Amino acid sequence: MVDVRPAPIDLLVIGAGPAGARAALRAQSCGLEVLLVDENGDAGGQVWRPLPPGFKRAAGVPHSAEALQGDALRAELGRSGIQCLFGHKVWNVGSSLRTDLIGPEGVASWQPRALLVATGTTERVVPFAGWTLPGVIGLAAATILLKSQNMLPGRRTVVAGSGPLLLAVANGILKAGGEVTAVLDLASRGDWLQTLPSLASRPDLLWQGAQWQARLRRAGVPMLYRHGIASVEAGGKGFRVHAQQVDKTGMPVPGAASPIFEADAVAVGHGLVPGTDVTRLLRARHRYEASRGGWIADADPQGRTSVAGLYVAGDGAGIAGAAAAGIHGELAAVACAHDLGRLSAEAHTRERDRLLAQWHKPARFGRAMAGLMALREGTVASIASDTVVCRCEDVTRAEIDAAAREGARDMNQLKAWTRCGMGPCQGRTCGDVAAAVLAVHVGSREAVGCFTGRAPLRPVSLAEVAGNYTYADIPIPKAAPL
Amino acid sequence: MKKSSTSPAPSLRADQAVRRGPAMQILVDGCPVDAFEGESVAAALFAAGRRELRRSPRDHAPRGMFCLMGSCQECLVWIEARKLPACQVPAAAGMEIETLGFREQRLG
Amino acid sequence: MSVNLRASAPYDAIVIGGGVMGCSTALHLAQGGMRVALVDRGPLCREASGVNAGTLTLHMTRAALVPYAMRAWQMWMESEKWLGMGVLATHVPGLTLAFTEAECELVELRAKARREYGAPIEVISAARAREIEPGVHPGLLKAGYCDIDGFASAYLTGRAFRHALAAAGVDVIENTPVEGIDSGDAGHVVRFGGAAGREALQARRVVLAGGVWIENMLAWLGVQIPIKVLINQLIITERVRPLMRTVLSVANGLLSLKQFANGTVLIGGGWQGDGDRERGGVEARPQNLVGNMRLAAYAVPALAEARIARIWLGLEAETADAMPIIGDVPGVPQAYVVGSAHSGYTSGPFMGRIMAQHILGQQPELPLFDPARLLGMPMPGN
Repeated sequence: MVDVRPAPIDLLVIGAGPAGARAALRAQSCGLEVLLVDENGDAGGQVWRPLPPGFKRAAGVPHSAEALQGDALRAELGRSGIQCLFGHKVWNVGSSLRTDLIGPEGVASWQPRALLVATGTTERVVPFAGWTLPGVIGLAAATILLKSQNMLPGRRTVVAGSGPLLLAVANGILKAGGEVTAVLDLASRGDWLQTLPSLASRPDLLWQGAQWQARLRRAGVPMLYRHGIASVEAGGKGFRVHAQQVDKTGMPVPGAASPIFEADAVAVGHGLVPGTDVTRLLRARHRYEASRGGWIADADPQGRTSVAGLYVAGDGAGIAGAAAAGIHGELAAVACAHDLGRLSAEAHTRERDRLLAQWHKPARFGRAMAGLMALREGTVASIASDTVVCRCEDVTRAEIDAAAREGARDMNQLKAWTRCGMGPCQGRTCGDVAAAVLAVHVGSREAVGCFTGRAPLRPVSLAEVAGNYTYADIPIPKAAPL
Repeated sequence: MKKSSTSPAPSLRADQAVRRGPAMQILVDGCPVDAFEGESVAAALFAAGRRELRRSPRDHAPRGMFCLMGSCQECLVWIEARKLPACQVPAAAGMEIETLGFREQRLG
Repeated sequence: MSVNLRASAPYDAIVIGGGVMGCSTALHLAQGGMRVALVDRGPLCREASGVNAGTLTLHMTRAALVPYAMRAWQMWMESEKWLGMGVLATHVPGLTLAFTEAECELVELRAKARREYGAPIEVISAARAREIEPGVHPGLLKAGYCDIDGFASAYLTGRAFRHALAAAGVDVIENTPVEGIDSGDAGHVVRFGGAAGREALQARRVVLAGGVWIENMLAWLGVQIPIKVLINQLIITERVRPLMRTVLSVANGLLSLKQFANGTVLIGGGWQGDGDRERGGVEARPQNLVGNMRLAAYAVPALAEARIARIWLGLEAETADAMPIIGDVPGVPQAYVVGSAHSGYTSGPFMGRIMAQHILGQQPELPLFDPARLLGMPMPGN
């Protein structure tokens, strides 16, 4: 990794989802030399996940709009001749934007003139008793399992949480021949109705939503609004899922009936959290915006961050949905082209204004969905003391509360005192919820901050970084004083 | 649709919209497991009924795949001397997989 | 922790800098009967003292500091007693490894130099070293062995000291940057940054315990002594199966390696990253990460498969002659400075104790390190 590739790259794009792929295509058309990197085997990100290698779409079967969009994007990328490094993980980025990758052949570093981070989001699951049991998976995880791996989470699945993925997963399960034991939605029917105006420009989605509702009704699937999961326990043929009625903050309603569902799988998710690993590592300025998913890089509408040459686009820059993500990617690409002197000011202004005008409607819809997925304070408040919050290190809510009472005031102090965030997932799974728990004590999310960004961005082994060497190859600086 | 040799239940695989890669077998902790070429190792294990993949460090609680996108690190397994998230590894015929606990016991 | 605002009455001492040296000094002063405030611009022990490798070794301590490190080792091993809360201090033997002829000579030299100061270090054969540490590289030629060795979990230090300081009645003032010190005959006035919104505090005595920032603090008092800033890279792995039973170093001084009870392995050795006093540690240097990892994976080959969980940087202070600065601030009455010792964490609790002894008017258990010697001493070229 010490020898940096000589090929001059103008723009390195991390993430080949809707935002990154569109950004790469746009940047190329502006004459930039682009390198597109993604840890997955092909482009598409989460929302347009490719099929596993060797799988083919069945002929004579109608495929979803998403599947077709993803295939079209991959085909376009293929035709474009853009250099793509799939199956490569970014494990470090230096302050010069030097990007260190690990791929099938080992480590390699690239030094682009600009870097676009389009790494999307990770899923948030608010802990409850039993959430770590094998067979309990995320909602976005269930989406990946269904759409990409073409596999059911179980024969009888409880689908729970919040946001548009609920109906998508429930219907995906029915389509795949499985049973949905129940759908538990933290939102109310009214919450959903409030998103209708944002759907005005998307009659297709309105239609799809109505179809999905109808299918669930026909299949007799109980649809429980304002309900969450109180606990999941192993039992019977799989799980006993204890549902609970909640108020609009997600707080359990005392005295309400608690239906119990028997299932062999649970798919649960409480929204998406923008991935800020790279921007935090590079010490870009961030701000907290609950309506966009939480902490995001402080960026202008085109994705320019506080670090020169560093851009963000897509849901990772603030949740606005897949359709908006592509346009955002293009906005970042033209900004970068202009900033690198490859696009005139007039052409840039023209393109920027045109793209911004296009961006607003899909973003409005995406934001409405983000609102449904936003973290509710009641769900955080109702996490029981003995529930594990940090899965990697088995850190419970009680330990977080104890650290706070003893004086831990920010996430890094919390980490030092409890090990929360020190495990292999590097705080991606627990960070948002742990911060919400600490913020109750300290006063605000801004005050508790984030875990300090550190390399590696994804775990790499010593062997992968060290490569092949002899003792003589080790560059020894001068020995320590006697 | 091949029935998995290690799971008594009907398959979780859904073939309505897809033609899978060829059926084959992978080795998990020394035992053959039915799988399909290209599907993720995590999915293959899940479909074979092997939902528990490891134990948590302090409480020794059973854990399995969770996020399916290579983030949570719950589905870690050893594949050819590398510790990897199973959800990010496409299964190949004859692939040798060891769960964390099994390998730790083997190496003593 | 909030402080009574009847703090208009002067303190007997204000310690500026809440790392292990400052915390230990403050604690011992309070236990000696003084009314003490301890101030830090951040939380306690979150700079070097909270992010170092936690190595409690004599192998890599400067020979002349061995007597100090041995006493500090005892204190760390008993930390639960005098702090009320431990730092998981673990006693295991330490091996310093030689893989080349040149390193064999170094091992002999370093062992001899340390023995002269009382360290029980013997040079042993590779075969014997392998009995003690089976996982070591088969190409090992020789090793230095010391039974008095071990490690602590540095990140627990702040929490542990907080308890002890509170119990001793020290006023702990965190997250409050000091802006300057006005010194006079009656004592000192410690002024805080405007944003802190806090009135100045008065004290008869002031103790500068700011690690790499001692240079800035001395400047507040009009004293110029350069302090070099080292930017040390640290690497921690995920939990791995038991691979090591000792603390390992290499004769060239550039590796520290230990495995904690939870299975994680901490790799250090002073490989340099980029950063400075103003910004802190900024980023690791790739070639130095590679070098450090190669050395670690060479010393214990089974480590090669371990995955790295996190890489971070810590600032270490060094004076012009690489010895600590502990004693009276030259030319400023009732002002003291303690710190800037290579491997300061290892010796820190004891350094704080002798600083306090001196301030309390007692004979320190071991000699201090006169700051005046550093006046005008040029910092060696890099």
